[in-house]
Parts: sequence; structure tokens; C-alpha cells
Amino acid sequence: MTHSQTVPDAGTSRIVELMEPPTRVVLAVIDLVEGVRKSWLWTTLAQQDVKLRYRGSILGPFWQTLTTAVMIGGMGFIYSKLFHTDLHDYLPMLSVGLIFWMFIAGMVTEGCGTFIAVQGIIQQVKLPFSLHAYRLVYRNLLTLAHNFVIIPIVLWLFPHSIVWTRLIELVPGLVLITIIGVWVSVLLGMISARFRDVPPIVASIVQVVFFVTPVMWPVQALGTNAWWAQLNPFFAAIDVLRGPLLGQPTARYSWAILVIMTVFGCAVSFAFFARFRSRIAFWV
Amino acid sequence: MRCFVRVLCKIPLAHRFLGLASLSFLRLRNVCVDFPIYQGSSRSLKKALLATSTHGNLARDALDRINVRALSDVSIDILNGDRVGLIGLNGAGKTTLLKVLAGVYEPSQGRFVSSGSVSSLLDTQVGLNPDATGRENIILRGMYMGIHPHEMRMRADEVAAFTELGHYIDMPVRTYSAGMMIRLAFSISTCIPPDILIMDEWLTAGDAQFLDKAQRRVEEFVRGSSILVLASHSTQLVEQWCNRGILLHQGRVVTMGPIKEVVAAYQRIIGGAILEAAVQIAAAGLGC
Repeated sequence: MTHSQTVPDAGTSRIVELMEPPTRVVLAVIDLVEGVRKSWLWTTLAQQDVKLRYRGSILGPFWQTLTTAVMIGGMGFIYSKLFHTDLHDYLPMLSVGLIFWMFIAGMVTEGCGTFIAVQGIIQQVKLPFSLHAYRLVYRNLLTLAHNFVIIPIVLWLFPHSIVWTRLIELVPGLVLITIIGVWVSVLLGMISARFRDVPPIVASIVQVVFFVTPVMWPVQALGTNAWWAQLNPFFAAIDVLRGPLLGQPTARYSWAILVIMTVFGCAVSFAFFARFRSRIAFWV
Repeated sequence: MRCFVRVLCKIPLAHRFLGLASLSFLRLRNVCVDFPIYQGSSRSLKKALLATSTHGNLARDALDRINVRALSDVSIDILNGDRVGLIGLNGAGKTTLLKVLAGVYEPSQGRFVSSGSVSSLLDTQVGLNPDATGRENIILRGMYMGIHPHEMRMRADEVAAFTELGHYIDMPVRTYSAGMMIRLAFSISTCIPPDILIMDEWLTAGDAQFLDKAQRRVEEFVRGSSILVLASHSTQLVEQWCNRGILLHQGRVVTMGPIKEVVAAYQRIIGGAILEAAVQIAAAGLGC
């Protein structure tokens, strides 16, 4: 853009030709990159979200930890009796499974509100849309970190043969799930902003999925039918994190399912994001 | 790839680097903004799916989706040192245009290019947490403007002083009156002189003494080659603050130019509107 000509009168100027705006795909990529570059903003906002939720309470965010601990304790005793299994085996499986389930389910249900929840900001300030998704996922990671405190305690109370080298598997597992969390919150956030009956639909689906996913019960309990539960992507996500912590082998398809989910989901979500990004401000 | 780089690089920053005067501008060419209005069933996914599967091409009608053209064919150049007043009746498209200028809405058609840091005061509430104190909110709102909390903390006292809220600055914001909210929002948004300041008409709700102070501050940085865009229906305020005007009517630019002329044209429209209404009332009266 040159600026050589004299400042034209606002009323008469049609002199400067504006360059072609970048394509939708380029704009979407810029949005995602700018979002990452503003990491200081979404990390601070997410920390604040967690703090504000428990403002004025003594324990602060550790209320979350306490709630989860009580739930795991209660459910552990009842269900170990119900399923006639040893508490020593059952409680570690339940606590690890439930904590990761809460993380994954939290991202899916909150993902419906990625854009709706911050409509006031979208309507007033220009910020990369991806920033809201990053904030949401980071907030859920923080909650996971608070809940995670329970896991070492449970594993200390009910010792298991942990293969320490396998704990490295947690890293790629968490990275993949975090990436999936980003695309899920972008995609569900957009669909929910456009169609307002999606959030309640998703909420009830997640509730049903909780009971059909081997979180509270061991997948082996299905016997020869275990394969269909193993194809459940929610199970795959929990399995790659639970396996290494409990020293159990990871199910056959889990990693493959997770990688496919990441790649395929990112592609679909990006296509939607590139196509409808500019409409989000009108939808919310 | 080339256009990628061009968009990513910050033009005014480069100029400051080279010691050139910063140049900020807002340019629009044939900009249209269409608002999809979603009402009732068009918000429902179920209805949308049923509509596409059963009616095919008629889906759009079945969705009862209406597009309202909020801005049509707007071409404007706003350059260094311009203080532009946007005037028009309610629903003329003032706020929509401000949102396009602030980068919140992307035009449905046409081109829009801007250069310079933008600070938009469209709403007093943005980023404010009602339970936090005024001082805490200075940091919060600053973050949404892209200012790092460290930097904002250093400026907090300066901002607090400008608001003249006294000890209220350490009270929760929910106890504030509308006028106090305006003081706080304006002080935060202008604590770092932006290249482009975009303000909606709520500012007019501030008291006279604060308005004077705000005007002095805005004048100060507009002199430093910045841009002000202010929407208002108060012709008096616009004449005081602005040197050029844009008159919008039903989403179109009617006139642009020196503020006096534009205000005169606006008054003709108001006159026309009153006359039109009078004619309608008279016609309705005759109809009875």
C-alpha cells in the first residue's frame, strides 16, 4: 500500500485500490497462529476462570479435587461390592478412569459453549477465534491437574506394579487428546453457536456414553465382546492414559483410533472453521 | 505465501522502526454487511436437517432465514488525524459500521483494510468482572485490549487517577453507576494512546465535566496523527469532537465531508422523517 498521494478528501476519494483480501484458508491459518501467539492471554484467562469458580472458598480450586476424591471413594466401595471385585484392583482403575473421563467429557460438553459463552467479547473486541478454544482446553487441563493429585495417592494406597518407563506414554497420549480437544471445541463451538439445540443434545449423548464406555467397569468384563467397546473413541482416549498408569497393556486399537481421530478431526474441523469463521460473530 | 507475509507484518511498526511518521488508516470499498436473522425454527438443528432432507431447494425458505442488509455499498477513507463523526437515525447502521471498523464483523462483500492499533469502546462492560474491584478490572480489561498484565499494573495508578473515582476504585464494579462505569472504561481504553479509537454513543451518557476531560485527551492524541471515529445522534457532541462527518441512512452513506455540512444534511433527514410520519398519521386519520 503506497501512501504517496495527498490525503484525499473523504468525500471524493476513490483513488486507492485495495488489495485482494486473503483467502478464507489463509485467514483461518492466521487466526490459529495469532491465537497461539497470544498464549499469555488465554493462559491468564483460563487460570482466572479456575480461580473465579471457587472465589471466596478456603480450599479454592482444590474443592474440585475434594469433590472428585469423595465421588471416587463412594463409588469405589459401592461398585466393587456390586461387581464382586477386589477394592484393591477396582479403586485404582476407577479413579484413573474417572479423572480422565471428567477431563475428556468436560472438553466435549464445555466445547459447545466455546463461542456462545464469550459472545460479549466476540461482539466487542477483535480477537482470534481460536483463542477461545485454546482457553477452554487449557482451563480443562488445569482442572485435570488439580484432580490428578488423587492418582498418586490412590496408587500409593493400593500399590501396583508400575513400569516407570511406560509413564512416558502419557506424554503423547495427553498431547493427542489436547489436540483433539482443540478441534472438538472449535467444531462443536461453531455448530452450537449456529444451532442452539446442539448443547443439550451433546450433553445427553455424553451422559449415555459414560455408561457404555468402560470407565466404571473393566473392559474384560465383556469377554469376547470386548472389541466393540474398544472401538469406542472415548475408551481409546482413556485407555492410552490408564494403561501406563496401572501397568496394563494398552488395547489393540487405542493408539490407531486416537491418531485417526486427531488427523481426521483436525481436517474436518479446519474445513468448517475456514468456511464459517467470519460468520461466528453473527451467530453468537 | 506472499499475501500471508503481507498480512502478518505490522505496517505501522515497521514505519516507527524506520523513524517515519506512523500512518494509520481505515479504508472500505463497496462494503456490504448482511445480518442473518435467526428466529424460531432456524435456530434448530433438527428442523434444519428435516428441511434439507425433505424439501431440497426449498430448505432456505423452510428455515425462515432472513437476511437484513445492515450496510450496503459503503466506501470510505479515514486517514491520519481525522476525527470522524458517524451520524444517523436509529438503525441506520452506525454500530454495524463501527464493528466493521473495529474488525469484529467481516464484511459480507467488499474490501476493508486498516492499519494501526485499534482500541474500540463499543461497550462499557467488556472484560469487566462485576465482583472484582475497579482496580482489578483495569488489569482485566487491559488484557482484552492486548495489554499484558505487567504493563497494565504499572499504569493502574495513572488510569485510576484519570477516572477521578477516588476510593470507589477499590470497590466492586457492580456498585458503580452507569456514569462511573463510563469513566472507568474510557480511562482504561485510552491509557495507551491507540492509533485508531472507535467509540459508540454511550460515551454521551457521561457527565459534562468528564466529557470535557475526555475530549481533551482524545484531541491530544488525534493531534499525534491518530484517528477517532465516534457514533452519536447528539449533533452537538459530534460538532464539538469531530472535524468530518459521515451520514448514514438505511445502511447507506448519504453524505460525507466537513462536519457542519453533514450535520445540516442530518437535520434535513430528521425533518423529512417527521414530515413523513406526519403524513402517515394524517393518511391514517383520513382512512378512518
